[in-house]
Amino acid sequence: MLARLLRFRGLLLILTGRELKARYRGSFLGFFWSLVNPLLLLAVYTLVFDIVFQARWGGAEPYSVFLVTGLFPWIWLSGSLLDATGSLLENSGLIRKAVFPAEVLPVVTVLAQLVHFVLALPIAGVALVGARLFDYPVGGWSVFGLPLAMLVQLPFVAGLALALAALNVHFKDVQDLLQNLLTLGFFLTPILYPLSSIRQVPWAWAIVAANPATPYIQIYQDLLFAGVWPAVSLWLRALGTSLLAWGFGCWVFARLRNTLVEAA
Amino acid sequence: MSGDAVVTVEGVSKLYRRMASGFRFRTLKSALLERSLVRDLEPQEVIPAVREVSFSVAPGEAFGLIGSNGSGKSTLLKLIAGILEPTEGRIAVDGRVSALIELGAGFHPEISGRENVYINGAVLGLSRSEVADRFDEIVAFSGLEDFIDEPVKNYSSGMYVRLGFAVAVHTDPDVLLVDEVLAVGDEAFAHRCVHRIEAMLARGKTLLFVSHTLPLVEDLCDRILWMEDGFSRMIGEPRRVVDAYRDAVAQAEGRRHREEKEEAETEAEAEAEERPDRWGSGRARLREVRLLVDGAEGYALSTGSSAVFALDVEAEEELEDFVFGIAIRTPRGVEVWGTNTELEGYRPGRLSGSTRVQIHCPDLRLAPGEYAVDLAVHARDGAPYDYRRGVFTFTVSASRSSTGVYEPRHRWEFGPGVEWDETG
Repeated sequence: MLARLLRFRGLLLILTGRELKARYRGSFLGFFWSLVNPLLLLAVYTLVFDIVFQARWGGAEPYSVFLVTGLFPWIWLSGSLLDATGSLLENSGLIRKAVFPAEVLPVVTVLAQLVHFVLALPIAGVALVGARLFDYPVGGWSVFGLPLAMLVQLPFVAGLALALAALNVHFKDVQDLLQNLLTLGFFLTPILYPLSSIRQVPWAWAIVAANPATPYIQIYQDLLFAGVWPAVSLWLRALGTSLLAWGFGCWVFARLRNTLVEAA
Repeated sequence: MSGDAVVTVEGVSKLYRRMASGFRFRTLKSALLERSLVRDLEPQEVIPAVREVSFSVAPGEAFGLIGSNGSGKSTLLKLIAGILEPTEGRIAVDGRVSALIELGAGFHPEISGRENVYINGAVLGLSRSEVADRFDEIVAFSGLEDFIDEPVKNYSSGMYVRLGFAVAVHTDPDVLLVDEVLAVGDEAFAHRCVHRIEAMLARGKTLLFVSHTLPLVEDLCDRILWMEDGFSRMIGEPRRVVDAYRDAVAQAEGRRHREEKEEAETEAEAEAEERPDRWGSGRARLREVRLLVDGAEGYALSTGSSAVFALDVEAEEELEDFVFGIAIRTPRGVEVWGTNTELEGYRPGRLSGSTRVQIHCPDLRLAPGEYAVDLAVHARDGAPYDYRRGVFTFTVSASRSSTGVYEPRHRWEFGPGVEWDETG
């Protein structure tokens, strides 16, 4: 799978570029529009939790900065999976009638969303610098671990994307189910709250800690917000989950590959 | 197979696998709820598209595929292109394959022709710079200079083919697969394509060509494979295969015509059989019906003779609502005459027991031919007591023949100047 993707890296790049171009369609403002969604989410959650509920969690101050560090990687994950799920059906013309490496399509959506993520990082940067100016001890040299965190998360997102895209060809409701699962997953991942804040509720803590997406978010929070290097065990958990997800995705895709052309 | 073959197809079969019959409506939810996830992903229905086909194509050879729709030609090309995997057998292709399988295949409708050229090139394994080197040539060949930055969804089908073909041949494939699409382009472009293909063949490249344009296939190809029902029916010299195919098509066409005709006839018969020739509630019955000619029972008469239709009627109970009717038809169902007591002003009073009804026709002026008779007793609203259709037939003959169904009394009169050598 990886070898095939590398062989078609040219195609991956062209299609990813196309995807981005379509999103930012020519206009300079187009790029800013793509930032509106995360900014809006950020504003709403800050308003609701920080200002309305006056929620105060230890280790989550200032709240909007804490939120940014977990929210953006989550948007990469959820956006990728939602886009990837429909990617094969939307491009059925390509895979049914031409010699086309189908696995490229879900991976393209993941890469395009990764670019959106990277392009949104300046917001996080501004937030961190701002917090620093108010003497909050956020960030630090550890922010340079960010590319590594993305690299570790990439196989996790791509693996799930491959599996979902292939399954969606056979089961048309995967997209609807996914939407609900992602909503649930969002609240079961320590994005709106730090994991440490629910330690007193053991069952809730167990669920959230067992969520496979949790270690990735924690890594980002350590690197960007807490300004500490994540524990080796955290890295290993994330890496292990990634390899499992990647292996699972490749396995599902390979098993269904021959049926995709006929069913898409 | 020969060692220097570019394309080798050995005992290849392809079964299209359909999922469970309702597979379009399958959902993951139901699959999980019914624990049928694994079963739902198993194919249920198998449709053979290509069966045990073997052949090989040498470098520089133009190989044609012909056959009726659904005979497996396109599937075979897709197998060779690597879009589909064979269910059985082995396919080996030596070199780079470029395929032009279907109209607009491999094009992304929303994006420009320019970007599509790059995407196509990348799919075919060319790097960006390799595509860039050939880009101008590709556009020039397609003749789409003015439209190359338009989204391809705005292209006409001819433009799709032009661009597709231009990309396919300029990526310098070792094997070019072309499926019918040339028929879409205009004459001039088709010529250019054929020219280009011939140049490729001269350089030792290989062509596999599917088409229904038999003269073109015959002209262009060195060998032809004729597919039928997924089987390879005949491989060989173009002229011979095309002639055999044409013969078979002509025969099949003739057979189809005959079958259709026979089918229509049996249907008509079946329909006639299905219709009962007697029905009704039976409250009154026509026990016996006869034709009396000149006083005696008989079913052959001549025009103008007297005839009596005699009905022995038996009422099961006393009836106050009854109508007697008669109709004379030709064998093909054209009604010649029909009437009943109601139409003629008889108001029913009482019908009981066994009795006889007779319809006297002292001068039945039917034209010569065969006639069938329907007789009935029914209620005034039409509800049948006993309706007997085609209860008997009789023939009318005459010393002189005429056409139609009715022969009025008549005579000819001629003015002066009309002379006859002989008169009737």
